[in-house]
Amino acid sequence: MYRRWLWPGFALPGILWLILLFVVPAYAVVAVGFGTVDPVLLQPVPLWNPADWNTGWLVEVLHRLQPGGTFFGVAVRTIVYVGVALVLSLLVGYPVAYYIARHAGRTKNLLLVLIILPLWISYLMRMLAWVNLLAIDGYVNRFLTYTHVLSEPRDWLGGQSSTVILALVYGYIPYLILPLYAALDRIDRSHLEAARDLGASPWATFRTVTLPLSKAGILGGAVLITLPMFGDYYTPNIVSGAPTTSMLGNQIDFYFHYGGQPTIGAAITVVLAIFLTVLMAYYMWTIHRAARDVPAV
Amino acid sequence: MMSGAGSFLAGCSSSTTPESKSKNGEPVGPGGLPMARPDRRVKMPLWEDPIDSGLEPETGGTFTVFNYPAYLYKKLLKEFGEKYNVDVQYTAFDNISSGIQRLASGAVTPDVMEMTPDNLSRAVAGKLIKPLNLDYIPNLSKNVWPDLVSPFYDVGSRYTVPYTIYATGIFWRADKVKEDIASMSQPWDIFWQADAYKGKTALLSEERETIGMALLRKGHNDINTEDPKLIDAAVADLKELYDVCNIKVDDIQYQSVPEGNSWLHQAWSGDPIAAYIYYLPKGTPPTALAYWKADKGQVPVQNDCWSICATTKKPVLSHLWLNYLLDNGIAYSNFVDFNGYQPPINEIDPATLVKKGIVPENLQSAVLTNEDLGSDSLQYGTLTARGQQLWQDGYSDFLAAG
Repeated sequence: MYRRWLWPGFALPGILWLILLFVVPAYAVVAVGFGTVDPVLLQPVPLWNPADWNTGWLVEVLHRLQPGGTFFGVAVRTIVYVGVALVLSLLVGYPVAYYIARHAGRTKNLLLVLIILPLWISYLMRMLAWVNLLAIDGYVNRFLTYTHVLSEPRDWLGGQSSTVILALVYGYIPYLILPLYAALDRIDRSHLEAARDLGASPWATFRTVTLPLSKAGILGGAVLITLPMFGDYYTPNIVSGAPTTSMLGNQIDFYFHYGGQPTIGAAITVVLAIFLTVLMAYYMWTIHRAARDVPAV
Repeated sequence: MMSGAGSFLAGCSSSTTPESKSKNGEPVGPGGLPMARPDRRVKMPLWEDPIDSGLEPETGGTFTVFNYPAYLYKKLLKEFGEKYNVDVQYTAFDNISSGIQRLASGAVTPDVMEMTPDNLSRAVAGKLIKPLNLDYIPNLSKNVWPDLVSPFYDVGSRYTVPYTIYATGIFWRADKVKEDIASMSQPWDIFWQADAYKGKTALLSEERETIGMALLRKGHNDINTEDPKLIDAAVADLKELYDVCNIKVDDIQYQSVPEGNSWLHQAWSGDPIAAYIYYLPKGTPPTALAYWKADKGQVPVQNDCWSICATTKKPVLSHLWLNYLLDNGIAYSNFVDFNGYQPPINEIDPATLVKKGIVPENLQSAVLTNEDLGSDSLQYGTLTARGQQLWQDGYSDFLAAG
């Protein structure tokens, strides 16, 4: 009996943590999204029993998310921003992770520390630092005009989509590099040697061996950064401030913090969560399939 | 005209169906309370008796002040704490709406909090703030502008005392913006002509101020309208600003304009004063700053207040805090040494402030007087639940830029 429960017991703290800090809060958001609002205090009144749920807010949000609805444009913009930021993150992050895993040698640990180093400073502070760097007379413009990349300073903070996307890349890329590095570092070198022995070129080896074997790392990193990006609202606030660059997270923030319809904010969160669950399900399915295929390699 | 509060008790229930009309068909605000307007004075109902007169202030422990961040001079907090032997803690909220939500949820238990007239009926109906005993607050009648001793939104000052006063106008960099905004036939039009200031033009991040400005621009002076057509038209006008100047929204104009990050900004009258006192970089002359506000009857004038929270364990000391803030010297120090937002105190007048060099002559219009108030002034007031939803959804539409 003792032995039977010993090892599963090690999972108990994690399970409790998940229940208290994930399952309960997530259900609270759902209960608010399907709840009502106190008419006097404008406080959300969550409905905990699914039998009592009020689907009106969710229907309202889904209606507004349709083409022509008030949330359609901001939802499309959010997907585009996150998609472009993800691609850019991969284009920058994959070579970095590949270099550290394959060629860094004794500097590997140092480089990993340097990748993690920015995370020691709060996200907010890092973004505020960029506000100064990207100012009209900031160092970025000074450097780019000095090197003649730009003929005149660019107004990076004037409500530019490119600035918001680059800020998202900057803010989240370490979370992509780390799982990518772990996946690349785990690849057995004998697989690469076998490919080369069979006449594959370096590019063909990368394309047919390294890339497929690092797919789990790519997807894991992609999930890690896209989930928070979809809910992000402070990055566009800090580096832009223009409604034309706002994201769905800004609408959630607005409805939760400014006035009497927190239920709308909760309903947007629920819809976003369902959308992200689909992405997560694809990730889980891919991981499962990769694990199943490992013996065949 | 003074409205009663007959349906007050009905509003204290936890009904989830918002009541927007009283039994006689008049629109009502939260809790069924009548909605105050400058020409419709409202006496708030008492949900409990004020404390007795002549009590000694509580001492020891913590005294919690709940307010916007950086909206009160910390030196004054320290002085008050030393005077009454309490540890004064300053807890900040992002905006008044979220502040009231946090108070209502029990997430915070402050002694006193900043309040706004448009949220007053909600706080009273929710029994979140306590009635005042004005015997403890002699500075109210002694030092405060006549129109705010017994203001239209709280006749008899049953729950509030005033804190700051400000008007909404336009704040710009005169050395960057070529147009003479003050001379334009409709100065609000400048935002729709700001294509040369793309990325440098911003509106206040406040739903009432933003949509209200668009209404005023079109000559609709009822800034508390609940007509969906007017609100939709105002939002449609605001959306034109995406293409004109890629409009931004924020509330840091007191800093962004003097530092040159923003050239043209909707702003409160306290902003240019704070900008001049604290944020104007060395080498930038005060004449680089300019401020315009419309004439009385066309300019929104607001005032913030202080109230005593129902959660207080120090009700006497809380009264003394309200009195402390209305002391001539304290109010003046908070204004010129830190806040930049003017207290409605009789001793503070535009000419004296200019003479003392607190406010440069070109920003004199940012200083208000009691004459800016009155039944013919404009003030954003409480809305019905339906009206609030209309304004909020309209602003959400503008923010989404779909």
